[in-house]
Amino acid sequence: MFRIDVAKALATLVTTDDLFISSIGAIKDDWWNSRPGPVDNTFHPSILGSVSDMALGLAIALPHRRVVALETDGSVLMNAGAMCTLGHERQPNLTVIVLDNGVYESIGAPPTLTSFNTDLAKMADAAGCPDTATAADVEAFTRTADRMLNDGRLGYLVAKIQPGTYPWPREKRKSTDGIEDKYRFMRHVEKLEGIRIHWGAPPQI
Amino acid sequence: MVQTEIAAPPVVAVPRYASLFIEGLREANVSLVTFLPESLLKGVYRQLPHEEGIRVVRVSNEAEMPGIIAGAYLGGKRGLMMMENSGLRQACEPIARFMYTHHMPLVMAMAFRGDFGEPNWWGHAHGETMEPILNALRIRTHFVSTLDDIKPSIKKAFVHADAGQSAVALVFRGECVEAAAPHVQD
Repeated sequence: MFRIDVAKALATLVTTDDLFISSIGAIKDDWWNSRPGPVDNTFHPSILGSVSDMALGLAIALPHRRVVALETDGSVLMNAGAMCTLGHERQPNLTVIVLDNGVYESIGAPPTLTSFNTDLAKMADAAGCPDTATAADVEAFTRTADRMLNDGRLGYLVAKIQPGTYPWPREKRKSTDGIEDKYRFMRHVEKLEGIRIHWGAPPQI
Repeated sequence: MVQTEIAAPPVVAVPRYASLFIEGLREANVSLVTFLPESLLKGVYRQLPHEEGIRVVRVSNEAEMPGIIAGAYLGGKRGLMMMENSGLRQACEPIARFMYTHHMPLVMAMAFRGDFGEPNWWGHAHGETMEPILNALRIRTHFVSTLDDIKPSIKKAFVHADAGQSAVALVFRGECVEAAAPHVQD
């Protein structure tokens, strides 16, 4: 199973009503080209270690809406204590999917610690996450992700993938930066929710 | 056994600074607070979990908090990050990332450990490094020293952070934190 397979499989399970917080790296282009609808439903924090945190905050703010975190092994390992926060909060509308390829692929693929003794699903389970699993093929991933997205419980699914990056042509790659992404995502949420998050001008006196 | 419920609030008086702090949060429409507790603002940490309408998220590392606040903001919820000022050092990377690569608003409330008269040797570095770090990150900082400044400071911090889409630090000291231990009061 490759990263692009996970992106395509996940896209069959979600809708334009859902919101996504995704790691940067190769998943960015895979998900951008697979996501439901041509809408700005995904935000990519520029930092390893804050994906689950951000998805938790978003899910708390919008408890009626499904939120998916697209994590990576490198990102989870950088801030592993966040699993304990997830396990304590148990936010029911949040599903965390970890793309675990066992390497830091974008810098030449030196191994992460999941290539050795570390098992992220077991860690999440021990941290208190109520529904954890590991999937090693597309069929298992699809079946498990479908359940986690629809059972009204915090889900934590580790997708074991092989290293390998889909060669998207330049015109298919996501070309926006972190600031434009923020405004586009924010305006998308405003439309979905019928709210105003940032006015850009003070109220008239 | 899994503990899921918050115990009843302890039978201790809520300090005046803590009452004003929580009133300030309500007046600023803050509905989420994420914190790593410490001793100087303990009256706030102790009371917050019992406040209806304010969601508390307890973390184990200050670096978790900027992401939680950023996610809540993009969902339309105002959140506050609370910690000792040593947490600033711990959380520098996510603070800088969200502030500079995403222009994300963030309001931090921190206790001034290491203020003039600090009796703990380990706390002095907190004080020595806090302002240089805030200055290096170019974070607008306001020191809250008097009780009557607590509520307006909280309100202005959120206005400032939202208008500027940037980070703001409120540093609590003086009568806005727990009274000093008896041996340093004279």
